[in-house]
Amino acid sequence: MDRDTARRIDEYRRHEAGQLENNLFDELVAGEMDRTEFLKRGAMFGLSVGIMGSMLAFVGEAGAAPAARTQLGRVQKGGILRAGITKPAGPVEPYLLNDGGALCFAGQAAEYLTFTNPQGKILPWLATSWKPNADATVWTFQLRKGVKFHNGKTMTSKDVVASMKQYVSAKGSNAGLTPFFDAAGVSAKGPYAVVFKLKSAIGVFPYLVSQTTYQAPVQTAEDAAKPGQWAAGGFVGTGPFKVKKYTEGRSADLVRHSAYWGGPSPLDGVKMTFFTGSAPLVLALRAGQVDLAMQLSPQEATPFKNNPKFTYYALPTSAHRQLCMRTDVGVLKDPRVRRAVALSINRPQQLAKIMLGAGQVGNDSPFWKGFASTDPSIKQRTQNIQLAKALLEAAGVKNLKFNLTTWNFLDHPDHAASIQAYAREAGIDVGLEVMDGGKYYDSEPAGADYAKTTPWLNRTCSLTEYGARGVPNVYLTRAYMSTGDWNGSHYNNPEFDSLSKTYLAAAEVSAQRKATKRMNGLLLRDTPVVTDYFISYTTAGSSKVKNYVPEGLSHMRLAKVSLG
Amino acid sequence: MTRFLLKRIGLALITLILLSMIVFAVSSILPGNVGRSVLGPFASQESVDQLNEQLGADRPLLSQYWDWASDAVRGDLGESLTKQVPAWDLLRPALFNSFKLALVAFLICVPLSLLGGVIAGLRYGKATDKSITTAGLSFSAMPDFVTGIVFILIFAVWLSWLPVTAQAEDGANALTQVKYLLLPAFTLTLVLFGYIARVTRAGMIEALDSDYARTAYLKGLPSSVVVRKHVLRNALVPTIAVVAVQVGYLVGGLVAVEFLFNYQGMGLLTLEAARNKDLPLLTAGVLVIGTVYLVVMLLADILYAALNPRIRFGGGE
Repeated sequence: MDRDTARRIDEYRRHEAGQLENNLFDELVAGEMDRTEFLKRGAMFGLSVGIMGSMLAFVGEAGAAPAARTQLGRVQKGGILRAGITKPAGPVEPYLLNDGGALCFAGQAAEYLTFTNPQGKILPWLATSWKPNADATVWTFQLRKGVKFHNGKTMTSKDVVASMKQYVSAKGSNAGLTPFFDAAGVSAKGPYAVVFKLKSAIGVFPYLVSQTTYQAPVQTAEDAAKPGQWAAGGFVGTGPFKVKKYTEGRSADLVRHSAYWGGPSPLDGVKMTFFTGSAPLVLALRAGQVDLAMQLSPQEATPFKNNPKFTYYALPTSAHRQLCMRTDVGVLKDPRVRRAVALSINRPQQLAKIMLGAGQVGNDSPFWKGFASTDPSIKQRTQNIQLAKALLEAAGVKNLKFNLTTWNFLDHPDHAASIQAYAREAGIDVGLEVMDGGKYYDSEPAGADYAKTTPWLNRTCSLTEYGARGVPNVYLTRAYMSTGDWNGSHYNNPEFDSLSKTYLAAAEVSAQRKATKRMNGLLLRDTPVVTDYFISYTTAGSSKVKNYVPEGLSHMRLAKVSLG
Repeated sequence: MTRFLLKRIGLALITLILLSMIVFAVSSILPGNVGRSVLGPFASQESVDQLNEQLGADRPLLSQYWDWASDAVRGDLGESLTKQVPAWDLLRPALFNSFKLALVAFLICVPLSLLGGVIAGLRYGKATDKSITTAGLSFSAMPDFVTGIVFILIFAVWLSWLPVTAQAEDGANALTQVKYLLLPAFTLTLVLFGYIARVTRAGMIEALDSDYARTAYLKGLPSSVVVRKHVLRNALVPTIAVVAVQVGYLVGGLVAVEFLFNYQGMGLLTLEAARNKDLPLLTAGVLVIGTVYLVVMLLADILYAALNPRIRFGGGE
């Protein structure tokens, strides 16, 4: 390393870097994280490309410094991309965004402060940098200058503050950000900086204002002041495409936003057709009536794999299913019994059978291997029928019988039937109760106390879907911690809760890994939830679609896409 | 005739009122929650309750019905709870779409079925009759989504002659719109052909076997004249009722076909409203379908009366 680099790093560490950045650098030097993770974490703490490059050079990894911009394939300008997406289920209003279709459509027009890329790295987007205080309870985001809304207005901190305030205070809001800060906790610091004062320390807060929290896009201050008026106002955002025409339930026509901060799209526009089901979407793609499908199941996408006219996309994500087993009452109360259920499953075989291999095997925790915070040394649980039987015997359980409740959605019925078949090998009799979504997610009977009666949170055993996230925070706080409102297993382990809090407050990856390793150990021992696979995001498109990179969520990032 | 019409219209209005009541009552026992449909399964209960309160979906059913009905009699069909736009704004394009598809399907299906039925009746017991009857029965027994997929694979995917989706671009000319509607219309034709052709065939056989047809033949009238002037007029009377009933199905009951061809018609819209427990939209949708059905039945009755003197001169009964 040359003297200049060393001096630069030294000056940065002494005068600019905070405690978290210095810890990060120490971890890199100590070899506690590899270069990929360093880049991920560095980006999260708002380290510049130059500083990260210097730090990597310091440890002899100069070649890993991030390039200024990914080299794109040959770009042909013009044309209208015809995208097939799921029909938005409800009103397309930022504070209500919930379903894939609405998210995909809105994501063309509106953008977020940060962006979680498919590799789980946090990237600057409408915010160019961010910096936490020493205990990660206050985060300051510097906004990108010169960002224009579709109506020509320049984005400032006023717009960001008004948008964030709407998301945590609008009546009936989906409230994705409410657990982290309240309306008083977000303020402007000059025209291009926004300060978030969090309710508690969050080491990965920049992830939570990326597109992985659906209800967090930046609107104009004027629109944000009137919740429910975004659609009526013409879907004004900063995104690469502006909405020219929106026909409820049918389609949307979008045109290039020429003043887009990331440079105008090569495409003239995008025609989005809304599909009620995926079967017609597959047929339309096959017949050449659409160029790109938002998302298809592995069963639907795989036939496009070896067809030269199409491109098959598969991206590993943290999306998964949770087989929740009640830990407080019923036949599954004994952890040995729950472990027996988990041990009966042949995970690789199940993944191959149900998802056609489009995914990764799970280890009964939400700690996906792609998360930087996941400790890679944890031993993978595998099928062991003999041990499962022994555990049942030790628990004094004979002829174990219970119902698995789920709903008729995607792979759920097949997944449940597969678990039923594996459990039978261990002598466990699993009955299936497959419901309609309205019933599975409603109180029972209608109008009763939701938390105490809804099937997905109260049945002896339930199978529920969880979407992809950039970090496991939401899974932990809402599905695993005893205070979580999605805790279908009713898991209540003070040690786990305490470790979760440690993880949430930790900004250094080593501290996070230490916590997740212990949490994973507790989860393997207690097995409140079986997570047998993580699901890859799969879809397909015409081979003439160039430079498309799926994201793992329902967003379709089309700014750099062209038609060849 | 006027008395007959007034009586029918009065009955239709009572039917519609009862229909709206039944829909509201039945929906109350359906699972689902509007707030949760909008916000998603993982939204907090507090947010769901707030949204339900905001939308008025948490009020007693009777109160919701009363408000909806009071507005409906003034021509306001209420606001969709899930989409938060006037129900009529969603129903109007869907109804227009359904009418378009029904019309194209009708124009293909009815003449073909009548022709098939008439030929089968004239060729009673012969190979032609057996072929038409067997083919019609086979087509009718096949679920519409299966027929639809086969058509899509052949004509849209393999041959690339016709589009998969039935929705033409906005502003497309009439010919293009028809082109987009051909595949679902053919699908519906196959579904309905067997039924309509069989009824027509049965009417033809009965009419051909009647005394008046025999007399006409004995009078030395050419066969074509007997069929055209005496047989068809009587043979088609039962077919009219059957065809009229199908209009209700074509406008409001094409859920599978609309789904498969990604067509936003009344069937899918009302199904979606039922799933989301969107009562104003669901009730308005059912009411619109019911109105179409009753109007068509009324027209069929009038046509029936016009063709059948026994009804026309029977004191309006």
